[in-house]
Amino acid sequence: MTGAAVVLLVGITIWAGIGVQVDLPAIAANWRNATANIIQLLQPDYGFFPKTIPALLETLQMAVIATAVGSVVSLPLAFLASRATNPKPGLLTGVRFAMNMIRSVPDILYAAILVAVVGVGALSGIMALVLFNIGIIVKLVSESLDGEDLGAQEAALATGGSWPKANRAAMLPQILPSFASQVLFTFELNIRASTVIGLVGAGGLGILIDNVRSFFRYHELSLIILEILVLVLVLESASSWLRKKLV
Amino acid sequence: MERTGADIRFHDVSVTYPNGFTGLKGINLSIPAGEMVGIVGLSGAGKSTLVRTINGLVPITSGHITVGDHQLGGHGAAQLRGRELRELRSNVGMVFQSFNLAKRTTVINNVLMGRLYHSPAWRTLLGAWRNDDVELAMSALERVEIVSKAYEKASSLSGGQQQRVAIARTLAQRPMVILADEPVASLDPPTSHVVMRDLQRINAELGITVVVNLHFLDLARRYSDRLIGLRCGEVVFDGAGADADESVFENIYGRSLTAEDVLSSRGSL
Repeated sequence: MTGAAVVLLVGITIWAGIGVQVDLPAIAANWRNATANIIQLLQPDYGFFPKTIPALLETLQMAVIATAVGSVVSLPLAFLASRATNPKPGLLTGVRFAMNMIRSVPDILYAAILVAVVGVGALSGIMALVLFNIGIIVKLVSESLDGEDLGAQEAALATGGSWPKANRAAMLPQILPSFASQVLFTFELNIRASTVIGLVGAGGLGILIDNVRSFFRYHELSLIILEILVLVLVLESASSWLRKKLV
Repeated sequence: MERTGADIRFHDVSVTYPNGFTGLKGINLSIPAGEMVGIVGLSGAGKSTLVRTINGLVPITSGHITVGDHQLGGHGAAQLRGRELRELRSNVGMVFQSFNLAKRTTVINNVLMGRLYHSPAWRTLLGAWRNDDVELAMSALERVEIVSKAYEKASSLSGGQQQRVAIARTLAQRPMVILADEPVASLDPPTSHVVMRDLQRINAELGITVVVNLHFLDLARRYSDRLIGLRCGEVVFDGAGADADESVFENIYGRSLTAEDVLSSRGSL
């Protein structure tokens, strides 16, 4: 059984590689063309740092607002999207379908559309990130709910509580630690995502990255990448510390 | 906390599950207000089903049940729905075998679940309970002698303590009936006696009708006024515990008694 599965996986991978026209010999022959750029990327221009501060702050602000709005909106939606907490099959299917639709649009496409509607800058970025967040948080939280023990909820319903009250009293306390953890994770994702959506003008470090890249200023680009790395590392340790406190 | 109990009457009640299995067959019972009844029988005899029809957790397929002024089923087995069902349930407290507490939150929050029906939605959403409700919850915890644990996380309590919190939760409802579905099956013998004594005391002092589903015969005989024996979804014995002798139990269980049917045979330290 396992042998057959491995053969199948290898077969699919090779088929995919052929379909995409992966050309390993070409990489081997041509990687030297990138040498000059790579060397520049390994030498950050530290003097450029003060100029990056406004963009960095904007990225952080966008991430904070998007995470806050996104998590507040997602929590009730997640309860509607879980079989454990939504007893109405029609409503459940509708919400899940809507969430699937929201999640299937890439964040950068949301950003591009919103920039055209709302203009270049942080606002379109925040709106794009909120939609991106809703897709993630609702999925993670509703799957958490699906796996929860329903005993306390049965007891809450047996006291005469309505479904919303029973869910609030019995299910919310159960998933709060994992919800908090997922919100922190989403915040990290927002930092990274905001750099990408900046490429289409939706604010933050992304706009700065696009500027320096298009002028081939790789030393400056290198510094920005380093800043993002530091930010991600700081967030990572802060969030694991917080997550341990929450369990 | 003065409230009188409600009487419970079963009129030709049957329950057939969606898969075709018949849980209860034409049950007729009359439980007067304030009585404490023990339901015994083999697993699968219908004990749990019987208890759960009283608060509508299991829907009945035919017949009807009256609980005080409320009626379940009847008129072509029309089921109680929505607000009326919730009103019935607010008057019926339930204690479960696995305690069914919200483990990650405090003891007092668990007891306050008993006030869910009576609290407006916005209060329960924000956790902004009325002072009266918190007082009620606290006095319920006092009655089961566990008020010192009010602000501890429910999961930090022992099994017996958790079950007492569950009993406090039912008391917070100020119910007319308390149902208990194998309340001591997960507890050791001494703790089982403590919990059964609590239920007996509540029945005697507050006049609440108590229906307890029990696995152990000696507990059932010792703590209930009246014993109802079920076998294959039908009542095969209904009378005082004292009247139930060996032959009666063999009729209920369809076999002679073993050590597993009696709590005290589990030994003590």
